[in-house]
Amino acid sequence: MNSIEKNINELNKLQNLQQRSHWMNELHPLGKLLLSVLYIFIVVSFDKYKVVPLIVMSVYPFFGFIAGELSFKEGIYRMRLILPLVLFVGIFNPFFDKQIVGMIGSVPVTGGVLSMFTVMLKGFYSVLAVYILIATTSIDDICYALRILHLPKVLAIVILLIYRYFGIMAIEADRIMTAYKLRAPHQNGIHYKAWGTLVGQWLLRSMDRAENVYESMLLRGFTGDFRIRKKKVRIADILYPIIWLLAFAFVRYSGFFG
Amino acid sequence: MHTGVSGELLKIEHLSFAYEKDEQVLNDINFVAHDGESIGIIGANGIGKSTLMKLLVGLNLNYKGTLEVAGHSVNKKNLNHVREHIGYVFQDSDSQLFLSTIEDDVAFGPQNYGLSDEEVEKRVAEALEKVHITELRKKHTYKLSGGEKKLASIATILAMEPDIIIMDEPSIALDPRNRKNLIKILNEIKSLKLITSHDLDFIMDTCERTVLLDDGHIIADGPSTDILSNEALLTRHGLELPLRLQK
Repeated sequence: MNSIEKNINELNKLQNLQQRSHWMNELHPLGKLLLSVLYIFIVVSFDKYKVVPLIVMSVYPFFGFIAGELSFKEGIYRMRLILPLVLFVGIFNPFFDKQIVGMIGSVPVTGGVLSMFTVMLKGFYSVLAVYILIATTSIDDICYALRILHLPKVLAIVILLIYRYFGIMAIEADRIMTAYKLRAPHQNGIHYKAWGTLVGQWLLRSMDRAENVYESMLLRGFTGDFRIRKKKVRIADILYPIIWLLAFAFVRYSGFFG
Repeated sequence: MHTGVSGELLKIEHLSFAYEKDEQVLNDINFVAHDGESIGIIGANGIGKSTLMKLLVGLNLNYKGTLEVAGHSVNKKNLNHVREHIGYVFQDSDSQLFLSTIEDDVAFGPQNYGLSDEEVEKRVAEALEKVHITELRKKHTYKLSGGEKKLASIATILAMEPDIIIMDEPSIALDPRNRKNLIKILNEIKSLKLITSHDLDFIMDTCERTVLLDDGHIIADGPSTDILSNEALLTRHGLELPLRLQK
């Protein structure tokens, strides 16, 4: 399996997760979206030295993974491109903030080390929260929630189409690469002389496919707005985000965890 | 959307079309189709079958002549009316199915026509039932086999209840069982059907009337049994007898 196939497979696996019949998938997307956004806001709002309440905030992603029956290993694997960046953000803090703020046994802990740790945790939690959202909510539902929040319809459609066309372009790239490799079995990778032609072919084919998809939409009455069926709001759809938000507010503002 | 229009649903008079000035693709096409008919459009590769179909649904409006769908002239002003009457099943099902699940995709058309949620739900259920894939309703579109994708594509069009259904090479890449199943389903659909195909056996099984195109003209228009058994005519225009008639 080549790397494009692997990525297409990953995308398919993520879509499988989104289409599962699971209570977390069936929650109203607006609640899940707001909850994720607010969780991230609250997490990043903690003081840079507040480690304990931040550790307590890990309850949400842990709950998401366990209750949502999501594989932690796969989640980390899928977020592998973003996680190093997130972890890199605070890496220089120990060099700038050398003030000792506490001791672990006889080892002094500087403010820089603490803030590095909290920045990394904040980034890590944020990525996990986003993963839980996208693993339990389809892109159509996320766009539906965004439209309820009055996101301009043009933006919602652009998000949906980019998502759709991304898959199409990946499939076309995979076809071209496979056709090339089958006729160049002893070659390692693609010869640089073929790059221009292949990229050109790829763009042309993708445009062709994208045009067909767009025509298919036009022929079924598409006029620039996705009319997604309204989702009924159940009590669980309201209770789930509210309970979590109350818990977050308690951790953030009660001072119980320091 | 099915509007109860009957009689002459499609009228083509002196239709000509060229992508470039010197490259005439269709030349003086005259053709009338009625409610309930099933018409095969045949011809060799590149003679303009798909172009003709795309003109009918208004994907290209730079034609000359008269083109009327259910009494509406195909022009920019009437496009919405025209498309309410006519459904197009693409040759490549992957282009037709662009939403996550089959039910979302089938619901897409009716929703765009502003139908109530109850009506959309009813249309989706009926369309899936007609092509016998109700059990695939929640399935993700990328997980379907070629045959299932084709049936799902047809369901997306049936849900709009069009008066006219156009199908571009519907039997392509189907295995014998799926092909047989598709023939059965198409024969159950009572709307006016226009089917382009190189699979002449398929045309024989699904269409009582056949139109042979070549060099931008209609060469023959008549009962499928007559046209598809005329070896000399077919050979002259780059085709061969259906397999079942070959010795």
